[in-house]
Parts: sequence; C-alpha cells; structure tokens
Amino acid sequence: MKKASKKIILLGHFGVGKSSLIRQFVENTFTSDYKVTIGVHILKKEVEISSDETVSLIIWDLEGYDDIKKTRASYLLGTHGFIYVFDVTRPATFENLKDDITYLTDQYANTPLKVVGNKIDLVTKTYLKENKDMFGVAPDFFTSAKTGDKVNDIFIALAKELVK
Amino acid sequence: MLETYRGKYFHPRTQFITIDNSGNVLESDNVLFLLKKGDEIGTISPFFEGLSTYFEVDEDNDIKFTCIHLENKDKKEYTCDIEFKTFASDQPTLIIIHDFSDHYEYYQEVAQSRNESVINSQVLELQNKYLKEKEDFKNTFIANFSHELRNPLTGITAFCSVLQKTDMSLEQQDYVEVIQTSGDHLRNMIGDILEVSKIEVGKLTLNEELFNFHELIQMLEFTYSVKAKQKNIELVIDFDDKIPKYIEGDKTRFKQVFENLIGNALKFTSSGKVTFSIKENQRRARKANINISVQDTGIGIPSEKLDEVFKSFTQLNNSKKYSGTGLGLSIVKGLVELMDGKITVESKENVGSIFRININLKYPINQENNSLEKKSDIEGEKSLSKEKYNVLLAEDSELIQMSVLKILAQEGNFFLDMITNGEDAIESIIHNEYDLILMDIRMPGTHGDELTKMIRSLPIQNCKTIPILALTANLYDTDKKRYKKMGMTDIIEKPFDEKTLLKKIYKHLK
Repeated sequence: MKKASKKIILLGHFGVGKSSLIRQFVENTFTSDYKVTIGVHILKKEVEISSDETVSLIIWDLEGYDDIKKTRASYLLGTHGFIYVFDVTRPATFENLKDDITYLTDQYANTPLKVVGNKIDLVTKTYLKENKDMFGVAPDFFTSAKTGDKVNDIFIALAKELVK
Repeated sequence: MLETYRGKYFHPRTQFITIDNSGNVLESDNVLFLLKKGDEIGTISPFFEGLSTYFEVDEDNDIKFTCIHLENKDKKEYTCDIEFKTFASDQPTLIIIHDFSDHYEYYQEVAQSRNESVINSQVLELQNKYLKEKEDFKNTFIANFSHELRNPLTGITAFCSVLQKTDMSLEQQDYVEVIQTSGDHLRNMIGDILEVSKIEVGKLTLNEELFNFHELIQMLEFTYSVKAKQKNIELVIDFDDKIPKYIEGDKTRFKQVFENLIGNALKFTSSGKVTFSIKENQRRARKANINISVQDTGIGIPSEKLDEVFKSFTQLNNSKKYSGTGLGLSIVKGLVELMDGKITVESKENVGSIFRININLKYPINQENNSLEKKSDIEGEKSLSKEKYNVLLAEDSELIQMSVLKILAQEGNFFLDMITNGEDAIESIIHNEYDLILMDIRMPGTHGDELTKMIRSLPIQNCKTIPILALTANLYDTDKKRYKKMGMTDIIEKPFDEKTLLKKIYKHLK
C-alpha cells in the first residue's frame, strides 16, 4: 500500500465556510453557529484514492482575509495544494476571485488549485446557472458544507491530483 | 522574597524541544506538551508533520509561525506562536512553543464581532437589493399590465356611450347598460391596483388645495343616503359644525377614504344603520384634531382576522355576495397614514364594526374665503368662440382612434386629423393650424412627451400655446411631473369616456 502525506491549504474570505467544509469532510458534522477562525487550525485525514494508495491530507484551515496577499507567508511554506473557497450568496467574497486565482497561479504555478463555490443550499440551481458568469472564474465545485453536497469530491479530486 | 513570589506566581508558558533530522524528540522540558525521548514530534499536532520539507536542516534557519492552534493529550487547547531554528553547525533542530492563548482569545473575540458585523451588513444590503428588485419588477409589471388593459377598456367605455345614443330596443339598452357597468367596475379595480402599488412604493403624493370640507360631507350624505335607502338602512351623519369650513388638503383623497369606509359599511350591512361621525377634539397652531368614525350594524369581523383587514388583497368574506379586490381598506390605511393620521378598527362578529380615524386638518385663519365658489362658476360659464375646431390626434391604437373619432363626430364641432407616429405629427403640425392636440404617450418611435417638447420648440407661433392633452394610463406622480415639464397642458386618463374627453377638450379650447 502506497502512502503519501500532503499539505493542503484552504483560502478565501472570512465567513465563506472553509472550517465548515473541513469539519464536514473530517468529522461529517455541521453547525450553523459561526465561529471566526484566527490563525490556523490543522487537521488530518487519510483519503483512499485507489485500492493500493492512500493520501494523508494535512489540511490547514486559515483565517479568512479579504485580500489573499495578506496571508502570512510562513503558512504557505511547503504547500502541495490549494482550495480557494467563496460564498455563492455574498458578492464581496467573489468580487476579486479572478485576480486572486491569477495571483495564486502566478505565484504557485505548479501547485494544484481547486476553486469552490460554497453555500449552494441557500440558492437554487437556476440562480447558479444564470449567474455563473458573475463569479469571474468557473468554479471546479459547487458545494454545501451544510448538506455535505460535493464536499468529499473536492478533497478526493485534489488528493488524486497531488499524487499524479 | 522575589524568588518566593516567582515560585508561587510564575507559570512558564514556553516549551523548548530539540529533534533529530527524522523529527524524533531528543529533549523536551514538557512545559506544555508531554513528550518522551524518541517520540515523533508529529504526535503533538499534524502541524509538525513534514516540517523537514520546509527547509534545509543543515543550514541556519529561523522560521516563525504565529497563532497555531494545538491540543495536548488531555484535549486542552493552546494557541501558540512556534519558532523553528536549524543550525549549520550540526546542532539538533530547536522548536520553541510560546503559549499566547490568553492574548489570542481576546483577538478572537474582536475578530468575531468585526466579521459578524461585516457579514450582517453585506447580507442586509443584499436583502435590500433583492427586495428592491422584487418591488421594481412588481411595479413595472403593474404599470405595464394596467396600461395594456386601459386601451381596450377605453374602447369599451367610449363605444358604450356612443351606442347608448343610437336607436336601440329596451332589451338592447339593458345589455349596453350591463357592459357599461362592468367596464366601470373593471376600471375601478385597475385603479385600485395602481393606487396600492403607488402607496407601497411611496410614489403617491397628496395635493395641497383649499377646499370646502362641509360641502364634501354634504355631498357624501346626499350620495350615500340614496344608496342606504335602497337597502332599507338608516344612514346617520353626526357632523360637528364647529369644524373649519375650509381646510387645506387633498379633497379627492379625503373623499376616497370616506367613500371606501361608508361604501364598505353599507355593503356589509343588511339591516340597521350606518353612522358617519366627524367630531372636533381640539385646535392648535392652525390644525384641528378630528375624530372620524364609520360604524355599522353589519356582519362584523372575526377577532382573529382583525389584523388582516388592512392588508392588500385581503377579502375576509369570500362569499360571492360581497365582491371586490380586497384593496379598499389597504388604500384607506395608506392614505390616512400619508396624511399623518391613524386608523383603527374594532369589530364583533354579527354585531358590527367601527373604523376610527384620528387626523389633524390644516385650516386657514380666514374662513370667509369664497374664492372657490367663484372659480367654479367662471369655469362653467366658458363658451365656444369658433364654429369648428381643428384637432390633431396622435395615437397608434386603432381602437382609441375610432373612439375619439366617434365621440367628436357626434359633437359636430371638430375637424379631426389622425396620425400614428411622432414623425408624422411634426409634419402635420407644420402644415396645419390646430386648435388642440390629443397626444398618446406610448407611441412607436418618439414618445408623446418627447414629441410635445419638440412641438413646443418649433418656430411656429401657436406651437408655444396650443393645448396638448396627454392620453395616458401612466399616472405616477413622476410621470405627471414629466408631462408638465415637457410642456403638456393637461392629462386625460385612460380609460376615458365620452363625458371626460369632451369636458377636457372644451376646457382648453378658446
């Protein structure tokens, strides 16, 4: 059995549901009480990506910033992958999405990145379809940390990409 | 002594750990986390996993991580700053963990409050935006919808008037009467819907005019006594003569409020009486505080439904016996509040209801003003000075064209030209001398109000003064102001009937 350990980081504005996505992925739980993350929480979960390969994901849940460039440089050391999360209901969280993604892909050209639109339980499918251009970048996943919709898929897809 | 105090009160909050190149503990002072020699440093937290990949361990490095959340084996949480020091001189890697939990706990509270406040304001802004969009959609829909209805309705009303003047059998006259009544009913309902929409978006404004309040009450008494008599109900008017005769306010809206309340009272009462009472409380600073009530002995309102009576589209009694849109009381409440008044209701099922209004009436000090009567007399005396008048009708609806043509043809006082778009209107005005123009607003190409502005600026003598009357269903106050600004003389509201059209035309012909 092959086993690798990879550090991934969740980025995005505050209140977009980064901690909730991780809690849903690691513990299968959700709470609607909002507790602000300060600094960083680190959790770990093993993901089986094939019958003979697992990846141990070291997940860094960073404090949300309205400007990605404010992220402390030390947090980003040795990062293997990024998950950028925004809230589909709150324009302030995706107003700079395009610029932020360009910044990340310029600065970390070889580091895989997944873009996630969270809180889809609060909108309709029609809203997402009609407003997809509004986000500026086509997200890789639309998720709901509340219902768990597509949450595992993000981490598994990224894990697979990390061991390619 | 100092050493004694230090021993008692000093609690070290910093742990020193050395590790080898594989991440195994060499030494630890175990101030915060319990570690044995040989333990993997990663057992404290996944944070320490893969640390060696961050830097070259055989070089001098000093890296600091701030605000890292860690947990010991007893599940106690710490928020720490962590330093890594590697050395080129073959010394083991040093890890220093500073526990700043108290400091970060305070920071967390501040961040929590700040972020919640930002998120709440963003959510509120979005909700407001959403509500505004919804409201705008509703109002545009209502405006367009009512406009589309008004044109055919004008056709129905106008042609009923024309038809009534032809030779018809008694049976046919009855049928036309039914069509006319249904048309009027439909027009009132459309009017109600527009009124509610205007009140809800705050677009309804009141006209301040001096009018004879006593005369208004007398007129209502006359009108509704007849209706009450038809239903064998007694109508009692209890009017306080001390109330100022002349008041400043919107006569039409006062009338509308009273008519709605008295009309409702009569509608829902099958026996007994309806009492319309108007009493003065006090006067202060040119304002008379008045209590108005309309009481009936009708079917009443169940107590659990009392809160709903003033809501739009609420019909508490769904039986077909009592028709209506359910908008009347909503409009009444909106109007009373717009006049800075207050309306309440008390009711008992099968006993009756009483609607009470408390309102201030503004009045002029000089109550001997009779200019109002004189003014209306002069208007009535106006007579025509020409045998035939040239009228231009700019209107794209064939139905309206036919209606106006029929009405004016019957009068015998008019030559009528008709055009269907703005461009032809200018051409026609340049080559003809008109006495009056009837102008549709929503025409293909240039709209009627824009066209009026162009006409007013034409270098032809009578273009500055010729009466231009708007034919329109768009009657928001902003529309009315725009029509006036563009140079329109007056407005004829669609749907119009023969009487209204002729009254307005004659009013403006010299």
